[in-house]
Amino acid sequence: MDTSKVCQLTPWDTRGYSTALNPRFVKTGRMFRGFFVKTISFVGYTVQYGCIAHCAFEYIGEFVSCSGPSMEPTITNHDVVFSKRVSRHLCRIQKGHIVIAKSPFDPKMNICKRVMGLEGDKVCTSGPSDVFKTHTYVPRGHVWLEGDNLRNSTDSRSYGPIPYALIRGRVCLKMWPPHSFGVLAESPNDGRIL
Amino acid sequence: MFRGFFVKTISFVGYTVQYGCIAHCAFEYIGEFVSCSGPSMEPTITNHDVVFSKRVSRHLCRIQKGHIVIAKSPFDPKMNICKRVMGLEGDKVCTSGPSDVFKTHTYVPRGHVWLEGDNLRNSTDSRSYGPIPYALIRGRVCLKMWPPHSFGVLAESPNDGRIL
Repeated sequence: MDTSKVCQLTPWDTRGYSTALNPRFVKTGRMFRGFFVKTISFVGYTVQYGCIAHCAFEYIGEFVSCSGPSMEPTITNHDVVFSKRVSRHLCRIQKGHIVIAKSPFDPKMNICKRVMGLEGDKVCTSGPSDVFKTHTYVPRGHVWLEGDNLRNSTDSRSYGPIPYALIRGRVCLKMWPPHSFGVLAESPNDGRIL
Repeated sequence: MFRGFFVKTISFVGYTVQYGCIAHCAFEYIGEFVSCSGPSMEPTITNHDVVFSKRVSRHLCRIQKGHIVIAKSPFDPKMNICKRVMGLEGDKVCTSGPSDVFKTHTYVPRGHVWLEGDNLRNSTDSRSYGPIPYALIRGRVCLKMWPPHSFGVLAESPNDGRIL
């Protein structure tokens, strides 16, 4: 056998390609690039639709799960309500509306109360069982909030009126539980609205 | 022809809404440019200065004493105010002026901040309307963009003695 004609062991494989251009490596390289491109476009779509969803919740409305007894019997613990954001942005919150607002004592918490007085209104600061009635006026740019369950509610009667800018939205519909689905009732304490 | 026009309009509206939402979220979560007016923050910020306000600090609750913040006005939900934070919740703050003989103090309630303008003689701030809820803060002013000759990081408070 003529050894000069035997192929030497070189980096070239039997098909004549170098290992650098070996189809196996080319395929792996393409796979990584394809994976990278897919990840980038997935992240891109997530950011895009996340922003659109955020703006929908910010400007149209959001679902809120309420907890606590301060709004009984209108809203009870674990009820889910729908809160319209449009009313707040267009400044159309009125007396008697139930609102979701940021807590003045904890920026990460929200509170759900009824508006009992707007700026300039006279509000009753004494309880329904007090002998002597005391009143105060709501300052400019503020609202007076009270829970429907006056005996068990920490509201403007204890911490004073809150700035209108803290209001997030107006609760307009109860979504859960199903047997009480629908528009929320009027205030049971109508006599306190002066 | 009408159908093509209709389809083009719909897709134009679609793209506008899409990019509008992305831009809104960028301003909401990253930062925004604010044009300031009024004399209450002189000499640090003067009338018609443009500053950049970071929103991240507010969302992560990293506002400290001495920071200049943009907040919603407690008296007008459509207006914003630009003041310096002189006290956080639990801090003791000086409610009397620098020229008063008797110094009076108060404590900042939970969840509130005490704001004062740098121009103490010509600023309506917490000394008149009390502390404001932290939730009203929109962002922290970190950079002055305009005018070009005063571009850069903002100065420390000229009233450092009032921070207790």
